[in-house]
Amino acid sequence: MLSRFLAATAVLSLWALVAFVPAPPSKIKVYLVGDSTMSIKQVKAYPETGWGMPFAAFFDETVTVDNRAQNGRSTKTFLAENRWQPVARDLHEGDYVFIQFGHNDEVPTKASYTPEADFTANLKRFVSETRDRKAQPVLLTPVARRKFDVAGQIEETHAAYAELVRTVARETATPLIDLDRSSQALLQQFGVENSKLLFNHLAPGEHPNYPDGREDNTHFNELGARRVAELVLADIRMLKLGLADRLVQGTVKKTVDPQAR
Amino acid sequence: MTMKGFLLRGAVPLALLGSLAFAPPAPPRKTRIYLIGDSTMANKVRATFPETGWGMPLATFFDTTVVVDNRAQNGRSTRTFLAENRWQPVVDNLQPGDYVFIQFGHNDESQNYPDRYTSPEDYRRNLIKFVTETRSRKANPVLLTPVTRRYFDKDGRIKETHVLYSAATMAVAKEYKVTLVDMDKLSRELLQKLGDENSKLLFMELAPGDHPNYPLGRHDNTHFNELGARKMAQLAVNDLIAQHVALAEEHLAKPLPKNAVATPTGPNSQPTTP
Repeated sequence: MLSRFLAATAVLSLWALVAFVPAPPSKIKVYLVGDSTMSIKQVKAYPETGWGMPFAAFFDETVTVDNRAQNGRSTKTFLAENRWQPVARDLHEGDYVFIQFGHNDEVPTKASYTPEADFTANLKRFVSETRDRKAQPVLLTPVARRKFDVAGQIEETHAAYAELVRTVARETATPLIDLDRSSQALLQQFGVENSKLLFNHLAPGEHPNYPDGREDNTHFNELGARRVAELVLADIRMLKLGLADRLVQGTVKKTVDPQAR
Repeated sequence: MTMKGFLLRGAVPLALLGSLAFAPPAPPRKTRIYLIGDSTMANKVRATFPETGWGMPLATFFDTTVVVDNRAQNGRSTRTFLAENRWQPVVDNLQPGDYVFIQFGHNDESQNYPDRYTSPEDYRRNLIKFVTETRSRKANPVLLTPVTRRYFDKDGRIKETHVLYSAATMAVAKEYKVTLVDMDKLSRELLQKLGDENSKLLFMELAPGDHPNYPLGRHDNTHFNELGARKMAQLAVNDLIAQHVALAEEHLAKPLPKNAVATPTGPNSQPTTP
Protein backbone atom coordinates (compact mmCIF):
# COMPACT_ATOMS: atom_id res chain seq x y z
CA MET A 1 0.00 0.00 0.00
CA LEU A 2 2.73 2.39 1.02
CA SER A 3 4.74 1.63 -2.10
CA ARG A 4 1.69 2.25 -4.31
CA PHE A 5 1.19 5.59 -2.56
CA LEU A 6 4.85 6.50 -3.11
CA ALA A 7 4.66 5.55 -6.76
CA ALA A 8 1.60 7.71 -7.26
CA THR A 9 3.29 10.63 -5.52
CA ALA A 10 6.37 10.23 -7.67
CA VAL A 11 4.32 10.23 -10.89
CA LEU A 12 2.42 13.32 -9.75
CA SER A 13 5.62 15.14 -8.80
CA LEU A 14 7.18 14.32 -12.16
CA TRP A 15 4.07 15.59 -13.93
CA ALA A 16 4.25 18.79 -11.88
CA LEU A 17 7.88 19.28 -12.82
CA VAL A 18 7.23 18.76 -16.52
CA ALA A 19 4.19 21.02 -16.48
CA PHE A 20 5.55 24.02 -14.66
CA VAL A 21 9.29 24.17 -15.26
CA PRO A 22 10.21 26.00 -18.50
CA ALA A 23 12.03 23.81 -20.98
CA PRO A 24 15.79 24.26 -20.66
CA PRO A 25 17.44 25.88 -23.68
CA SER A 26 18.27 23.29 -26.28
CA LYS A 27 21.85 22.13 -26.57
CA ILE A 28 23.76 23.42 -29.55
CA LYS A 29 27.11 22.83 -31.18
CA VAL A 30 29.57 25.43 -32.32
CA TYR A 31 31.76 24.00 -35.07
CA LEU A 32 35.11 25.62 -35.75
CA VAL A 33 36.49 25.08 -39.25
CA GLY A 34 39.84 26.60 -40.08
CA ASP A 35 43.60 26.26 -39.88
CA SER A 36 46.42 25.96 -37.33
CA THR A 37 45.75 29.34 -35.74
CA MET A 38 42.43 27.88 -34.50
CA SER A 39 43.10 24.17 -34.07
CA ILE A 40 43.62 21.93 -31.03
CA LYS A 41 47.33 21.17 -30.51
CA GLN A 42 48.94 17.97 -29.36
CA VAL A 43 51.01 18.05 -26.16
CA LYS A 44 54.17 17.67 -28.28
CA ALA A 45 53.52 21.10 -29.80
CA TYR A 46 52.93 22.85 -26.46
CA PRO A 47 53.06 25.80 -25.75
CA GLU A 48 51.70 26.39 -29.26
CA THR A 49 47.97 26.92 -28.79
CA GLY A 50 45.12 27.44 -31.25
CA TRP A 51 42.57 30.09 -30.27
CA GLY A 52 39.77 27.54 -30.48
CA MET A 53 41.18 25.85 -27.37
CA PRO A 54 40.53 28.62 -24.80
CA PHE A 55 37.42 29.67 -26.78
CA ALA A 56 35.69 26.45 -25.71
CA ALA A 57 35.78 27.53 -22.04
CA PHE A 58 33.65 30.65 -22.65
CA PHE A 59 30.28 28.91 -22.94
CA ASP A 60 27.79 27.35 -20.58
CA GLU A 61 26.77 23.69 -20.52
CA THR A 62 24.25 24.14 -23.36
CA VAL A 63 27.09 24.67 -25.83
CA THR A 64 29.58 22.15 -27.15
CA VAL A 65 32.47 23.63 -29.10
CA ASP A 66 33.54 21.09 -31.75
CA ASN A 67 36.90 22.27 -33.02
CA ARG A 68 37.50 20.69 -36.45
CA ALA A 69 40.22 23.14 -37.49
CA GLN A 70 43.38 21.46 -38.77
CA ASN A 71 46.99 22.57 -39.05
CA GLY A 72 48.02 23.55 -42.58
CA ARG A 73 44.60 23.38 -44.19
CA SER A 74 43.14 25.77 -46.74
CA THR A 75 39.50 25.84 -47.87
CA LYS A 76 40.63 23.66 -50.79
CA THR A 77 42.37 20.94 -48.78
CA PHE A 78 39.75 21.02 -46.00
CA LEU A 79 37.18 20.11 -48.65
CA ALA A 80 39.41 17.71 -50.59
CA GLU A 81 40.12 15.72 -47.40
CA ASN A 82 36.41 15.40 -46.75
CA ARG A 83 36.62 17.41 -43.54
CA TRP A 84 33.74 19.76 -44.31
CA GLN A 85 31.14 17.26 -45.48
CA PRO A 86 30.75 15.52 -42.06
CA VAL A 87 30.19 18.91 -40.43
CA ALA A 88 27.48 19.85 -42.96
CA ARG A 89 25.84 16.44 -42.55
CA ASP A 90 25.72 16.60 -38.74
CA LEU A 91 24.53 20.20 -38.40
CA HIS A 92 21.30 20.82 -36.55
CA GLU A 93 19.04 23.85 -36.44
CA GLY A 94 20.53 26.45 -34.11
CA ASP A 95 24.12 25.24 -34.42
CA TYR A 96 26.90 27.63 -35.41
CA VAL A 97 29.80 27.28 -37.81
CA PHE A 98 32.77 29.63 -37.36
CA ILE A 99 34.76 29.72 -40.61
CA GLN A 100 38.32 31.04 -40.60
CA PHE A 101 40.69 30.31 -43.46
CA GLY A 102 43.25 32.23 -45.50
CA HIS A 103 46.70 31.52 -44.04
CA ASN A 104 47.22 28.48 -46.25
CA ASP A 105 44.97 29.55 -49.13
CA GLU A 106 46.96 32.70 -49.89
CA VAL A 107 50.47 31.28 -50.32
CA PRO A 108 51.07 30.37 -54.00
CA THR A 109 54.09 28.19 -53.16
CA LYS A 110 52.09 25.91 -50.85
CA ALA A 111 50.26 22.80 -52.04
CA SER A 112 47.24 24.13 -50.19
CA TYR A 113 47.15 27.28 -52.37
CA THR A 114 43.63 28.25 -53.36
CA PRO A 115 43.22 30.87 -56.09
CA GLU A 116 41.07 33.85 -55.12
CA ALA A 117 38.00 32.77 -57.12
CA ASP A 118 38.09 29.29 -55.59
CA PHE A 119 38.56 30.73 -52.08
CA THR A 120 35.43 32.84 -52.58
CA ALA A 121 33.46 29.92 -53.99
CA ASN A 122 34.52 27.64 -51.10
CA LEU A 123 33.50 30.18 -48.46
CA LYS A 124 30.13 30.62 -50.18
CA ARG A 125 29.70 26.86 -50.16
CA PHE A 126 30.38 26.68 -46.39
CA VAL A 127 27.85 29.48 -45.82
CA SER A 128 25.07 28.08 -47.98
CA GLU A 129 25.44 24.49 -46.80
CA THR A 130 25.36 25.72 -43.20
CA ARG A 131 22.15 27.62 -43.92
CA ASP A 132 20.66 24.58 -45.67
CA ARG A 133 20.66 22.93 -42.25
CA LYS A 134 19.14 26.02 -40.57
CA ALA A 135 22.43 26.60 -38.76
CA GLN A 136 24.21 29.94 -38.42
CA PRO A 137 27.44 30.61 -40.34
CA VAL A 138 29.92 33.19 -39.02
CA LEU A 139 32.80 34.32 -41.24
CA LEU A 140 36.13 35.42 -39.77
CA THR A 141 38.98 37.11 -41.57
CA PRO A 142 42.32 35.35 -40.97
CA VAL A 143 44.03 36.36 -37.74
CA ALA A 144 47.04 38.63 -38.29
CA ARG A 145 50.64 37.49 -38.38
CA ARG A 146 53.20 39.35 -36.31
CA LYS A 147 54.90 41.65 -38.82
CA PHE A 148 55.90 45.22 -38.05
CA ASP A 149 57.63 47.78 -40.26
CA VAL A 150 60.82 49.58 -39.19
CA ALA A 151 58.74 52.34 -37.61
CA GLY A 152 56.99 49.78 -35.38
CA GLN A 153 53.70 49.89 -37.27
CA ILE A 154 51.87 46.59 -37.71
CA GLU A 155 51.75 45.48 -41.34
CA GLU A 156 48.84 43.93 -43.19
CA THR A 157 49.63 40.24 -43.82
CA HIS A 158 46.39 39.03 -45.40
CA ALA A 159 45.34 42.04 -47.52
CA ALA A 160 43.83 40.16 -50.46
CA TYR A 161 42.28 37.16 -48.72
CA ALA A 162 40.88 39.08 -45.73
CA GLU A 163 39.13 41.37 -48.22
CA LEU A 164 37.66 38.35 -50.00
CA VAL A 165 36.16 37.15 -46.71
CA ARG A 166 34.66 40.60 -46.09
CA THR A 167 33.15 40.61 -49.59
CA VAL A 168 31.60 37.16 -49.15
CA ALA A 169 30.16 38.22 -45.80
CA ARG A 170 28.63 41.33 -47.36
CA GLU A 171 27.25 39.56 -50.42
CA THR A 172 25.72 36.71 -48.42
CA ALA A 173 24.65 38.87 -45.44
CA THR A 174 26.67 36.64 -43.08
CA PRO A 175 27.85 37.91 -39.67
CA LEU A 176 31.50 38.93 -39.99
CA ILE A 177 34.17 38.94 -37.30
CA ASP A 178 37.03 40.95 -38.72
CA LEU A 179 39.73 39.15 -36.77
CA ASP A 180 42.46 40.38 -39.13
CA ARG A 181 41.74 43.99 -38.11
CA SER A 182 41.06 43.38 -34.43
CA SER A 183 44.16 41.22 -33.98
CA GLN A 184 46.29 43.82 -35.78
CA ALA A 185 45.02 46.37 -33.28
CA LEU A 186 45.92 44.03 -30.41
CA LEU A 187 49.44 43.49 -31.78
CA GLN A 188 49.87 47.23 -32.29
CA GLN A 189 48.82 47.83 -28.70
CA PHE A 190 51.40 45.30 -27.50
CA GLY A 191 54.10 46.67 -29.82
CA VAL A 192 57.08 45.06 -31.53
CA GLU A 193 58.67 43.54 -28.41
CA ASN A 194 55.71 42.65 -26.20
CA SER A 195 53.73 41.08 -29.04
CA LYS A 196 56.31 38.27 -28.97
CA LEU A 197 54.68 37.27 -25.66
CA LEU A 198 51.54 36.32 -27.62
CA PHE A 199 53.31 34.03 -30.10
CA ASN A 200 55.26 30.82 -29.87
CA HIS A 201 58.54 32.60 -29.22
CA LEU A 202 60.97 30.54 -27.16
CA ALA A 203 64.64 30.96 -26.40
CA PRO A 204 66.79 27.83 -26.77
CA GLY A 205 66.26 25.57 -23.75
CA GLU A 206 63.06 27.22 -22.58
CA HIS A 207 60.87 24.26 -23.50
CA PRO A 208 62.11 20.76 -24.39
CA ASN A 209 59.53 20.58 -27.21
CA TYR A 210 61.66 23.24 -28.98
CA PRO A 211 65.23 22.62 -27.78
CA ASP A 212 66.78 25.14 -30.18
CA GLY A 213 64.12 27.73 -29.51
CA ARG A 214 61.49 29.09 -31.86
CA GLU A 215 60.53 32.41 -33.40
CA ASP A 216 57.08 31.78 -34.71
CA ASN A 217 55.21 34.88 -35.87
CA THR A 218 52.09 33.02 -36.97
CA HIS A 219 51.22 30.57 -34.21
CA PHE A 220 50.14 31.64 -30.77
CA ASN A 221 51.20 30.58 -27.32
CA GLU A 222 48.65 30.10 -24.52
CA LEU A 223 48.33 33.82 -23.82
CA GLY A 224 48.01 34.84 -27.47
CA ALA A 225 45.41 32.16 -28.16
CA ARG A 226 43.31 33.32 -25.23
CA ARG A 227 43.61 37.00 -26.14
CA VAL A 228 42.51 36.23 -29.71
CA ALA A 229 39.61 34.13 -28.41
CA GLU A 230 38.63 37.15 -26.30
CA LEU A 231 38.62 39.31 -29.45
CA VAL A 232 36.25 36.83 -31.10
CA LEU A 233 34.06 36.87 -28.00
CA ALA A 234 33.88 40.67 -28.01
CA ASP A 235 32.56 40.57 -31.59
CA ILE A 236 30.05 37.81 -30.79
CA ARG A 237 28.61 40.24 -28.25
CA MET A 238 28.82 43.26 -30.57
CA LEU A 239 27.04 41.36 -33.36
CA LYS A 240 24.38 40.33 -30.79
CA LEU A 241 24.55 36.72 -31.90
CA GLY A 242 22.19 34.46 -29.93
CA LEU A 243 25.30 32.58 -28.88
CA ALA A 244 26.13 35.50 -26.57
CA ASP A 245 23.22 34.41 -24.35
CA ARG A 246 24.95 31.10 -23.69
CA LEU A 247 28.14 32.40 -22.09
CA VAL A 248 29.35 31.16 -18.76
CA GLN A 249 27.85 33.32 -16.02
CA GLY A 250 30.99 34.08 -14.07
CA THR A 251 30.46 34.93 -10.44
CA VAL A 252 34.04 35.45 -9.36
CA LYS A 253 34.43 38.73 -7.53
CA LYS A 254 36.38 41.63 -8.94
CA THR A 255 39.60 41.64 -6.99
CA VAL A 256 41.21 39.17 -4.69
CA ASP A 257 42.76 39.64 -1.38
CA PRO A 258 46.52 39.77 -1.88
CA GLN A 259 46.58 36.60 0.17
CA ALA A 260 46.68 33.36 -1.72
CA ARG A 261 43.43 31.50 -1.41
CA MET B 1 28.93 -28.84 -8.01
CA THR B 2 26.50 -27.25 -10.40
CA MET B 3 27.66 -26.03 -13.77
CA LYS B 4 27.12 -22.45 -12.60
CA GLY B 5 29.15 -23.11 -9.49
CA PHE B 6 31.97 -24.55 -11.54
CA LEU B 7 31.98 -21.58 -13.85
CA LEU B 8 32.18 -19.20 -10.93
CA ARG B 9 34.70 -21.07 -8.79
CA GLY B 10 36.82 -22.94 -11.27
CA ALA B 11 36.72 -21.56 -14.78
CA VAL B 12 37.18 -17.90 -13.99
CA PRO B 13 40.36 -18.28 -11.92
CA LEU B 14 41.71 -20.64 -14.59
CA ALA B 15 41.01 -18.13 -17.29
CA LEU B 16 42.65 -15.41 -15.23
CA LEU B 17 45.68 -17.62 -14.68
CA GLY B 18 45.86 -18.26 -18.42
CA SER B 19 45.76 -14.59 -19.27
CA LEU B 20 48.44 -13.87 -16.69
CA ALA B 21 50.71 -16.62 -17.98
CA PHE B 22 50.62 -15.42 -21.56
CA ALA B 23 50.32 -11.68 -21.03
CA PRO B 24 53.24 -9.64 -22.40
CA PRO B 25 55.64 -8.36 -19.72
CA ALA B 26 54.30 -5.33 -17.91
CA PRO B 27 55.69 -2.04 -19.23
CA PRO B 28 58.24 -0.42 -16.91
CA ARG B 29 56.61 1.48 -14.09
CA LYS B 30 56.36 5.18 -14.71
CA THR B 31 58.09 7.66 -12.46
CA ARG B 32 55.53 9.71 -10.59
CA ILE B 33 56.09 13.30 -9.56
CA TYR B 34 53.74 14.22 -6.74
CA LEU B 35 53.16 17.92 -6.34
CA ILE B 36 52.11 19.11 -2.91
CA GLY B 37 51.53 22.79 -2.37
CA ASP B 38 49.07 25.66 -2.69
CA SER B 39 47.05 27.56 -5.31
CA THR B 40 50.10 28.79 -7.20
CA MET B 41 50.79 25.15 -8.13
CA ALA B 42 47.31 23.58 -8.15
CA ASN B 43 45.15 22.32 -11.02
CA LYS B 44 42.32 24.78 -11.72
CA VAL B 45 38.72 24.12 -12.61
CA ARG B 46 37.24 25.51 -15.84
CA ALA B 47 35.14 28.05 -13.91
CA THR B 48 38.31 29.87 -12.84
CA PHE B 49 40.19 29.77 -16.17
CA PRO B 50 42.43 31.42 -17.25
CA GLU B 51 43.92 31.12 -13.76
CA THR B 52 46.55 28.40 -14.05
CA GLY B 53 48.71 26.69 -11.45
CA TRP B 54 52.27 25.99 -12.52
CA GLY B 55 51.77 22.27 -11.93
CA MET B 56 49.40 22.18 -14.91
CA PRO B 57 51.91 22.82 -17.73
CA LEU B 58 54.67 20.91 -15.87
CA ALA B 59 53.72 17.57 -17.46
CA THR B 60 54.48 18.94 -20.96
CA PHE B 61 58.16 19.17 -20.02
CA PHE B 62 58.55 15.43 -19.49
CA ASP B 63 58.38 12.35 -21.70
CA THR B 64 55.80 9.60 -21.40
CA THR B 65 57.74 7.71 -18.71
CA VAL B 66 56.75 10.40 -16.21
CA VAL B 67 53.35 11.03 -14.63
CA VAL B 68 52.72 14.32 -12.84
CA ASP B 69 50.24 13.80 -9.99
CA ASN B 70 49.27 17.30 -8.89
CA ARG B 71 47.87 17.13 -5.34
CA ALA B 72 48.36 20.85 -4.62
CA GLN B 73 45.25 22.60 -3.33
CA ASN B 74 44.07 26.20 -3.29
CA GLY B 75 44.41 27.85 0.11
CA ARG B 76 46.40 25.14 1.86
CA SER B 77 49.31 25.61 4.23
CA THR B 78 51.59 22.78 5.38
CA ARG B 79 49.42 22.57 8.50
CA THR B 80 46.03 22.32 6.76
CA PHE B 81 47.40 20.00 4.06
CA LEU B 82 48.33 17.59 6.83
CA ALA B 83 45.20 18.18 8.93
CA GLU B 84 42.97 17.33 5.96
CA ASN B 85 44.84 14.06 5.48
CA ARG B 86 46.13 15.07 2.04
CA TRP B 87 49.71 13.99 2.74
CA GLN B 88 49.27 10.45 4.05
CA PRO B 89 47.75 9.10 0.78
CA VAL B 90 50.83 10.43 -1.06
CA VAL B 91 53.16 8.59 1.32
CA ASP B 92 51.10 5.42 0.98
CA ASN B 93 51.39 5.54 -2.81
CA LEU B 94 55.06 6.49 -3.06
CA GLN B 95 57.30 4.01 -4.85
CA PRO B 96 61.11 3.97 -4.89
CA GLY B 97 62.38 6.51 -7.42
CA ASP B 98 59.29 8.72 -7.33
CA TYR B 99 59.60 12.44 -6.63
CA VAL B 100 57.72 14.78 -4.30
CA PHE B 101 57.85 18.50 -5.11
CA ILE B 102 57.07 20.39 -1.90
CA GLN B 103 56.10 24.06 -2.18
CA PHE B 104 54.23 25.90 0.54
CA GLY B 105 54.48 29.24 2.29
CA HIS B 106 51.82 31.56 0.81
CA ASN B 107 49.19 30.42 3.30
CA ASP B 108 51.50 29.37 6.12
CA GLU B 109 52.73 32.95 6.41
CA SER B 110 49.29 34.61 6.41
CA GLN B 111 48.98 35.78 9.99
CA ASN B 112 45.64 37.44 9.23
CA TYR B 113 44.12 34.05 8.40
CA PRO B 114 44.22 31.91 11.54
CA ASP B 115 42.48 29.10 9.65
CA ARG B 116 45.64 28.51 7.63
CA TYR B 117 48.46 30.33 9.44
CA THR B 118 51.39 28.15 10.44
CA SER B 119 54.20 29.49 12.61
CA PRO B 120 57.71 29.35 11.13
CA GLU B 121 58.61 26.64 13.68
CA ASP B 122 55.63 24.48 12.68
CA TYR B 123 56.27 25.16 8.99
CA ARG B 124 59.81 23.90 9.43
CA ARG B 125 58.65 20.81 11.32
CA ASN B 126 56.08 20.01 8.63
CA LEU B 127 58.62 20.35 5.82
CA ILE B 128 60.94 17.98 7.68
CA LYS B 129 58.06 15.50 8.01
CA PHE B 130 57.40 15.65 4.23
CA VAL B 131 61.11 15.14 3.53
CA THR B 132 61.75 12.26 5.93
CA GLU B 133 58.58 10.38 5.07
CA THR B 134 59.35 10.73 1.35
CA ARG B 135 62.80 9.30 1.96
CA SER B 136 61.41 6.47 4.09
CA ARG B 137 59.74 5.26 0.87
CA LYS B 138 63.02 5.58 -1.08
CA ALA B 139 61.51 8.46 -3.06
CA ASN B 140 63.14 11.83 -3.75
CA PRO B 141 61.97 15.02 -2.05
CA VAL B 142 62.50 18.38 -3.77
CA LEU B 143 61.94 21.52 -1.73
CA LEU B 144 60.83 24.70 -3.51
CA THR B 145 60.65 28.15 -1.99
CA PRO B 146 57.27 29.86 -2.60
CA VAL B 147 56.91 31.73 -5.93
CA THR B 148 57.01 35.47 -5.48
CA ARG B 149 54.05 37.81 -5.47
CA ARG B 150 54.06 40.69 -7.95
CA TYR B 151 54.90 43.71 -5.80
CA PHE B 152 57.28 46.43 -6.95
CA ASP B 153 58.51 49.42 -4.97
CA LYS B 154 58.22 52.96 -6.33
CA ASP B 155 61.64 52.66 -7.95
CA GLY B 156 60.48 49.65 -9.95
CA ARG B 157 62.35 47.07 -7.89
CA ILE B 158 60.59 43.81 -7.06
CA LYS B 159 59.94 43.33 -3.34
CA GLU B 160 60.65 40.19 -1.40
CA THR B 161 57.32 38.82 -0.24
CA HIS B 162 58.22 35.59 1.54
CA VAL B 163 61.39 36.44 3.49
CA LEU B 164 60.88 34.24 6.57
CA TYR B 165 59.29 31.23 4.92
CA SER B 166 61.69 31.08 2.00
CA ALA B 167 64.57 31.21 4.48
CA ALA B 168 62.98 28.41 6.51
CA THR B 169 62.62 26.27 3.37
CA MET B 170 66.25 26.85 2.41
CA ALA B 171 67.42 26.01 5.94
CA VAL B 172 65.61 22.66 5.88
CA ALA B 173 67.02 21.90 2.43
CA LYS B 174 70.54 22.62 3.64
CA GLU B 175 70.31 20.69 6.92
CA TYR B 176 68.69 17.64 5.37
CA LYS B 177 70.61 17.83 2.07
CA VAL B 178 67.46 18.07 -0.02
CA THR B 179 67.44 19.28 -3.63
CA LEU B 180 66.31 22.91 -3.46
CA VAL B 181 64.74 25.01 -6.18
CA ASP B 182 64.72 28.63 -5.06
CA MET B 183 61.56 29.59 -6.91
CA ASP B 184 61.22 32.77 -4.84
CA LYS B 185 64.53 34.07 -6.17
CA LEU B 186 64.11 32.72 -9.71
CA SER B 187 60.63 34.17 -10.08
CA ARG B 188 61.71 37.54 -8.66
CA GLU B 189 64.52 37.68 -11.21
CA LEU B 190 62.06 36.92 -14.01
CA LEU B 191 59.58 39.56 -12.84
CA GLN B 192 62.36 42.11 -12.41
CA LYS B 193 63.48 41.47 -15.97
CA LEU B 194 59.93 42.06 -17.24
CA GLY B 195 59.33 45.04 -14.98
CA ASP B 196 56.30 46.33 -13.11
CA GLU B 197 54.06 46.74 -16.16
CA ASN B 198 54.98 43.76 -18.34
CA SER B 199 55.06 41.29 -15.47
CA LYS B 200 51.27 41.73 -15.29
CA LEU B 201 51.20 39.59 -18.45
CA LEU B 202 52.09 36.58 -16.28
CA PHE B 203 49.32 37.13 -13.73
CA MET B 204 45.55 37.18 -13.61
CA GLU B 205 45.01 40.65 -15.08
CA LEU B 206 41.67 40.90 -16.85
CA ALA B 207 39.64 43.92 -17.89
CA PRO B 208 35.88 43.73 -17.28
CA GLY B 209 34.33 41.60 -20.03
CA ASP B 210 37.63 40.12 -21.25
CA HIS B 211 36.70 36.66 -19.99
CA PRO B 212 33.18 35.51 -19.09
CA ASN B 213 34.47 33.85 -15.92
CA TYR B 214 35.38 37.31 -14.59
CA PRO B 215 32.65 39.72 -15.74
CA LEU B 216 34.02 42.47 -13.49
CA GLY B 217 37.63 41.88 -14.46
CA ARG B 218 40.46 40.83 -12.19
CA HIS B 219 43.63 42.23 -10.69
CA ASP B 220 45.53 39.50 -8.93
CA ASN B 221 49.23 39.75 -8.08
CA THR B 222 49.52 36.23 -6.69
CA HIS B 223 47.89 33.84 -9.15
CA PHE B 224 49.20 33.11 -12.61
CA ASN B 225 47.58 33.02 -16.01
CA GLU B 226 48.58 30.42 -18.63
CA LEU B 227 51.79 32.20 -19.57
CA GLY B 228 52.92 32.84 -16.00
CA ALA B 229 52.25 29.24 -15.00
CA ARG B 230 54.33 27.95 -17.91
CA LYS B 231 57.17 30.35 -17.15
CA MET B 232 57.22 29.12 -13.53
CA ALA B 233 57.28 25.47 -14.60
CA GLN B 234 60.09 26.39 -16.97
CA LEU B 235 62.11 27.98 -14.17
CA ALA B 236 61.71 24.90 -12.00
CA VAL B 237 62.62 22.42 -14.75
CA ASN B 238 65.61 24.42 -15.96
CA ASP B 239 66.95 24.69 -12.42
CA LEU B 240 66.64 20.92 -11.97
CA ILE B 241 68.52 20.43 -15.25
CA ALA B 242 71.24 22.82 -14.05
CA GLN B 243 71.53 20.79 -10.82
CA HIS B 244 71.79 17.56 -12.85
CA VAL B 245 68.78 16.00 -11.15
CA ALA B 246 68.21 12.64 -12.87
CA LEU B 247 64.51 13.31 -13.40
CA ALA B 248 65.19 16.37 -15.52
CA GLU B 249 68.22 14.96 -17.29
CA GLU B 250 66.75 11.59 -18.26
CA HIS B 251 63.05 12.16 -18.71
CA LEU B 252 62.80 15.45 -20.58
CA ALA B 253 60.24 15.57 -23.41
CA LYS B 254 61.69 14.70 -26.83
CA PRO B 255 60.91 17.17 -29.60
CA LEU B 256 59.12 16.30 -32.83
CA PRO B 257 61.66 16.32 -35.69
CA LYS B 258 60.05 19.40 -37.26
CA ASN B 259 60.41 21.28 -33.97
CA ALA B 260 64.04 20.29 -33.44
CA VAL B 261 65.13 23.21 -35.62
CA ALA B 262 65.03 26.79 -34.47
CA THR B 263 62.98 28.33 -37.25
CA PRO B 264 61.51 26.77 -40.37
CA THR B 265 62.80 28.00 -43.72
CA GLY B 266 61.71 27.61 -47.32
CA PRO B 267 58.03 27.50 -48.25
CA ASN B 268 57.07 27.26 -44.56
CA SER B 269 59.09 30.28 -43.55
CA GLN B 270 57.24 33.10 -41.90
CA PRO B 271 57.30 36.85 -42.07
CA THR B 272 59.97 38.47 -39.99
CA THR B 273 60.06 41.82 -38.38
CA PRO B 274 63.13 43.97 -39.02
